[in-house]
Amino acid sequence: MTTPDAILSLTEVVSGYGKMTILNGSTAHIRRGKITTVIGPNGAGKSTLFKTVFGLLPVRTGKISFDGRDTTNWSPRQMLDAGMCYVPQGRNIFSELSVRHNLELGGVALADQSGLPARIETMMQRFPILREKATAQASTLSGGQQKLLEVARGLLLEPRLMLIDEPSIGLSPLMVQDVFAILKGLRDNGVTILLIEQNAKMALQMSDYGLVLEQGQTRIEDTASNILADPRIAELFLGGGLKPLASAAQ
Amino acid sequence: MNDFIQLIIAGLATGSIYALAAVGFTLLWQTSQTINFAQGEFVMLPAFFALAGMKFFGLPFPIAAIAAILLSMLTLGVLFKTVVVDPLHKQGTLPLVISTIGLAILLREGVKEFYSAEAQRFPSFFPNINIGTSAANGGSGFNVSADQIGVLIVATATILLLSWFLASTKTGRQMQATAQNPTVARILGVNVERMVMYTFLINGALAAIASLLISPIYLAKFSSGETLGLVAFVAAIVGGFNQVRGAIVGGFLVGIIDNLVAAYISTSYRQAVPLALLVMIILLRPQGLLGRAEERAV
Repeated sequence: MTTPDAILSLTEVVSGYGKMTILNGSTAHIRRGKITTVIGPNGAGKSTLFKTVFGLLPVRTGKISFDGRDTTNWSPRQMLDAGMCYVPQGRNIFSELSVRHNLELGGVALADQSGLPARIETMMQRFPILREKATAQASTLSGGQQKLLEVARGLLLEPRLMLIDEPSIGLSPLMVQDVFAILKGLRDNGVTILLIEQNAKMALQMSDYGLVLEQGQTRIEDTASNILADPRIAELFLGGGLKPLASAAQ
Repeated sequence: MNDFIQLIIAGLATGSIYALAAVGFTLLWQTSQTINFAQGEFVMLPAFFALAGMKFFGLPFPIAAIAAILLSMLTLGVLFKTVVVDPLHKQGTLPLVISTIGLAILLREGVKEFYSAEAQRFPSFFPNINIGTSAANGGSGFNVSADQIGVLIVATATILLLSWFLASTKTGRQMQATAQNPTVARILGVNVERMVMYTFLINGALAAIASLLISPIYLAKFSSGETLGLVAFVAAIVGGFNQVRGAIVGGFLVGIIDNLVAAYISTSYRQAVPLALLVMIILLRPQGLLGRAEERAV
């Protein structure tokens, strides 16, 4: 199956940690300029998928292509240069550096460093709270502001695809809405978003597509609205057995 | 009172040298999880590089000193990283710790074997004069040697320069980012490997500078690393293992307490001071004076 407007494609990708296999032959096509949410039970391989795509974990077999190029086993630095950024789960700011210097570190991979101040300026215009707190230690930001800083830092290289893992963890419901609104704004500006979200229903409601992973394999790839309406998904997330889903896929 | 001030100045002078060693120790831990129990020997060795340069190659002292710093960056920096740390790093922290203990013995015995077991006089950069007036000549009795002031100035300037580099240059901040969270640094495109190498080079240079400053005071001896390593370790723990500024504070503190105890209690307790301080800190404030609590998955 080929999807003509896919920006990122995985073909039978196998990877994991050490001897442990997590991603077990997953195939997926992520559409350009859309928000796709990856859902699935714990241990399904969602975060592993991101780490493998971004070059933090080696691809054992299979193929990954991004934006028309075979990027299988490229390094994170090469992925950044190719136009992808990755915002991992949890808190990933450098807490003892200032907000401005955190932002500046997002531009390390920029080929022309003379353009960096202008890009930082643009980012501060877009997220005024970062300008307000520019000289403060990043640890003084609230959880939501820290996530914002991470997103802004990732955007500094003007990526075409952002991988963002569980941005809502630890945020107030109001802050989650803000983060989701930012992601939608990015999508409307042409940035492809691939999102992992524990809060699956809420994430799917604002997404264009969904990808259901189970036991390291792709179970469903469909529009978000179809997935939301799928009774098997309700079962999956109500903690029901996974068997109906697995047998349905056979 | 004059005595007290003199002791404080002497304490600051030795403390500044301890701080150099402790800062290097902390940097290695932060960026590469290397607990270097050969750090004392790292401070012992460069003086012998300089002595060997003078003795065998007839180099004048300033040239020999510069050569010693460069050679230290090469051996204690690059070689230490590539030969000892890199191959063992993936085995975890403990095998590496044990290897550094082995390296300490190798360096100690190597110097004893190939140079001398005798303590060596070591030239000073600073003039051999005293500032102040002797009480015997009707003066105030206040007396500080130019050596102490010189040591304090050079060591403090080195620390300030390093702090400036880490805080105010892009490379320095990439090093800090690598120390705080290497995975995220890599995700942003920081060349983590290179930053770790810089840390080893810096540690080699700091050890060499400390060596050139301390050897004129305590002489250059193959076994001097035992005490120095302990002091650097304690200074790093006291200040907070994960903070460069903690190591600086720890170094100065150990230096001052060391000198005060020697003068007011007994010189025989001098060796015990760092250990007593270590025990107190671990009991009362395990994260160190300036450190932050650190969680590590086991």
